[in-house]
Amino acid sequence: MTISEPQKRISERALTVWKIAAGLHSLVVWVIAGGLVALKILFDFPYWVIAAALGAAALYSYLFIFLLPKMRWKRWRYEVREQEIELQYGVFIVKRTLIPMIRVQHVDTQQGPLLRKYHLSTVTISTAATVHEIPALDMEEAEHLRTSISRLARVADEDV
Amino acid sequence: MSESKRLHPVAAVVNALRQLKEMIIPFLIFVVFGSRGTNWDLFYLFGSIGVVVLVLVYGVLAWYRFTYRIEQGELRIEYGVIVRKKRYIPFDRIQSLDLSEGILQRLFGLVKVKVETAGSGGMGLQDGEAVLTAISKQDAKEIHEYLVSIKKKEVLEEDLNEQEIKEDLLYKMSPGELLLLASTSGGVGVVISAVMAFVFQFEEFIPYEQIFDGVEHFVQSGVIFVSIVVFIGFLLAWLIALLGTMLKYAHFTVRRVDQDLVITRGLLEKRQFTIPLKRIQAVRISENLIRQPLGFASAYVESAGGSALDQESSKVIILPIVKKSKIPGLLEPHLTDYHFRVDVSPAPARAYRRYLLRGWLFVLPVIIAAIWFLRPWGYSALVLLAISALWSYLVYKDAGWSLDQGMLTLRYRNIVKNTVYMRKNKVQSFSVKEGLFQRKKKLATVEAIVKSGHGGAGGKVVDLEKQHAGLIYQWYSHEEKGKSAE
Repeated sequence: MTISEPQKRISERALTVWKIAAGLHSLVVWVIAGGLVALKILFDFPYWVIAAALGAAALYSYLFIFLLPKMRWKRWRYEVREQEIELQYGVFIVKRTLIPMIRVQHVDTQQGPLLRKYHLSTVTISTAATVHEIPALDMEEAEHLRTSISRLARVADEDV
Repeated sequence: MSESKRLHPVAAVVNALRQLKEMIIPFLIFVVFGSRGTNWDLFYLFGSIGVVVLVLVYGVLAWYRFTYRIEQGELRIEYGVIVRKKRYIPFDRIQSLDLSEGILQRLFGLVKVKVETAGSGGMGLQDGEAVLTAISKQDAKEIHEYLVSIKKKEVLEEDLNEQEIKEDLLYKMSPGELLLLASTSGGVGVVISAVMAFVFQFEEFIPYEQIFDGVEHFVQSGVIFVSIVVFIGFLLAWLIALLGTMLKYAHFTVRRVDQDLVITRGLLEKRQFTIPLKRIQAVRISENLIRQPLGFASAYVESAGGSALDQESSKVIILPIVKKSKIPGLLEPHLTDYHFRVDVSPAPARAYRRYLLRGWLFVLPVIIAAIWFLRPWGYSALVLLAISALWSYLVYKDAGWSLDQGMLTLRYRNIVKNTVYMRKNKVQSFSVKEGLFQRKKKLATVEAIVKSGHGGAGGKVVDLEKQHAGLIYQWYSHEEKGKSAE
């Protein structure tokens, strides 16, 4: 028995945001690599240290700016149905999660400066024990999702 | 009982002692690493005395400021020495009152009352919780009666003066079981490591060499002597752990009072937990390595109450040690939603290779390090491969799942073999995970999470048949059949 994939994708602008964010933190790696090069000039380190540092920084940037965000975006799916929310994500390990509506306690949307610039926000769905996140949805869609989830989320008349 | 009341003065002492206990470790570090010059000794002495006095004074002040009263259906607590705080807890939000009696409380005939509330999601530490450190049994009884009257229960089922009352005895631990529990508990390891740490800490102060020199006249071989000392040390550690567990679990009883499970235990320090049956989220049966071959197991319930700080009240042990075969008979009459005789489907045979590799991946660094650094002898570390393979086989054999009458059962082993029984309507979320290599073999990992205290707990089983994972996934789906594939 195969389970049908959830249908909806997250916003394509998520890719841009992820790339920018990854670019920012790979800057740190480049700074460290640059530091090593400076040390080499000052203290006569062997050349392979420089090569390794620059190579590592380049690999890091490629992985986190180009390869992984794309794979991640491709995989990210979600679907909000009447009775439950289904999520699918993961790059190498694909995780699929079911959250029944009656278990949902509250829904939040949030956005950082980067997300705001691209008119995106993140939806956070909390149950009594777990927190789930749908990253980088279009702001209107996130808003819509939040209201529709909280409308569908009913409190079950039992304890938790 | 609407006037403000203070706690019994013993509370000040209890709180001060707890403060001091928390300061012991920083203090030891201070002493061990700080005492270099001899001139400082006097300074340290006065410093320590000063700190102790400060803590005591603070304890008294805190006691003086702490008042509680019952007003307008709320338990109102006001406290705080520097910052005044008020905490008002509506009685109808209170889940249970947990009573315990420490040694100090028992000396004065007092009880400690912990007020458990549902907690609205654990936004802060100690959210929605209050502790009355030491109040008279009479006052505790009044609070309890008030709670009961608020909750509109017709009869007062429980009496703090331990008179005979109408209730169902679910389980009472026999002395034999207590002994078995204590002698097979994992506490031994903790005590041993504590003793070791202590010994190494004070290596500088204890004149081992002198001791050894002195005794060597009597004992020919130092090796024999050392092994005897080590043996006696372990024996002592084991006895201490044994005694500790026995004191903690003596008189362990589980009673069913109306719709609650009431657990009492302890010899010197008496404790009482109340778990409303409807707040039970899952039942877990654990078998550790020593108990499993003997056919014994422990049962826990995951409860939705409790606070973030106190894990003890969310994972409550209800059967510390019983014959595994007796568990269904003991629990099923009371936990009517659960049944414990289920057929567990194991992980498929092709999953064993993955279990084996995971185990080896874990020991491989150790083996490589051993061979690298301890050349001739290091090769003996290869034995670890065989041990790990054996262990992986155990882990693999214990993995399994079952779906039965609205109940999901997951069985897995970390170190201890766990079987978790969960009702569909208590599972907060369910996930299926599939890695690259798992996909090739059509295997999947399943994880179900229930609420436990303020956090989550649950079960995770690695490498089940993918089809089976799909079955559980569909079972958990709340969407009507046919509609889910839109």
